[in-house]
Amino acid sequence: MPARLSSRLGILRSFATSTRHQVKNKVREHQKLFQEDNGLPVHLKGGTLDSLLYRFTMTITVVGSCYSVFSLVKAAFPQKNK
Amino acid sequence: MAHQTHAYHMVDPSPWPLTGATAALLLTSGLAMWFHYNSTTLMALGLLTTLMTMMQWWRDIVRESTFQGHHTMPVQKGLRYGMILFITSEVFFFIGFFWAFYHSSLAPTPELGGNWPPTGIHPLNPFEVPLLNTAVLLASGVTITWAHHSLMAANRNQSIQALTITVTLGLYFTALQAMEYYEAPFTIADGVYGSTFFVATGFHGLHVIIGSTFLIVCLLRLIKFHFTTAHHFGFEAAAWYGHFVDVVWLFLYISIYWWG
Repeated sequence: MPARLSSRLGILRSFATSTRHQVKNKVREHQKLFQEDNGLPVHLKGGTLDSLLYRFTMTITVVGSCYSVFSLVKAAFPQKNK
Repeated sequence: MAHQTHAYHMVDPSPWPLTGATAALLLTSGLAMWFHYNSTTLMALGLLTTLMTMMQWWRDIVRESTFQGHHTMPVQKGLRYGMILFITSEVFFFIGFFWAFYHSSLAPTPELGGNWPPTGIHPLNPFEVPLLNTAVLLASGVTITWAHHSLMAANRNQSIQALTITVTLGLYFTALQAMEYYEAPFTIADGVYGSTFFVATGFHGLHVIIGSTFLIVCLLRLIKFHFTTAHHFGFEAAAWYGHFVDVVWLFLYISIYWWG
């Protein structure tokens, strides 16, 4: 179930009195995953999605920096159009 | 034995400070490109990198604290000092805009007609939507205190209900203010009245949105059992920020809406 949907349902379910469909406490499992002795830094320790997000973010950071410098250099030497 | 013998947190190497700094570069150069060359690509890249950096950096902090246990008492103390200093810096940010408002309104120039509000400006009635907005934010202060006490008393259902109401009130304020902005008979271009009104209330509105976002994240973490009865600094930080936003509004209401 997607996280955002489970949390919206989680809000609704938390108003209920019955215990049948309540949100499960997964903190222990997360603690086990993030305390595993595998040498991974915290920003990659969650799994494949972490690497994908990191690579995407770094890519747009590098591309953006290059584009920014290029734009600033271009703006610094205005072309005189006749 | 290769383990630390102190209570502080030596963080893992992280790429987010670098991506965050680059995001700031892209935002600022992007603004320049937008203003001078009508191009929004760079600014859009800047907004995206800012968003990605924030999400992953704060996600990592949740991992380091709730899942890895690095937030000992001394670490938490440092975070408390940090949040207080940050909020103090924001107070000074708003003081600047109040200074601008009082500078122009206490001694209105002949160009404005020598009075405040300036000739031709029809200000909003402070006893209509602005008063409702005041009630909404004050109520949110009450509900977040309710949520905090319920959390400390291990009352899960009530803390979730109270925090949900707090978030709803914040969103309600934003919606009401957006409607007011749309319906206002004056614009930001209407002299110094328009400038001071929309810049001061606009930055406040932005901070309400930031505060609401922070509270929504806290709500999700509360539902997912991240907080304990004794250790929930993220929640307290969000509550402090919410109270700060409320106090700024009270000053805005008294100065700009009522006295102005």
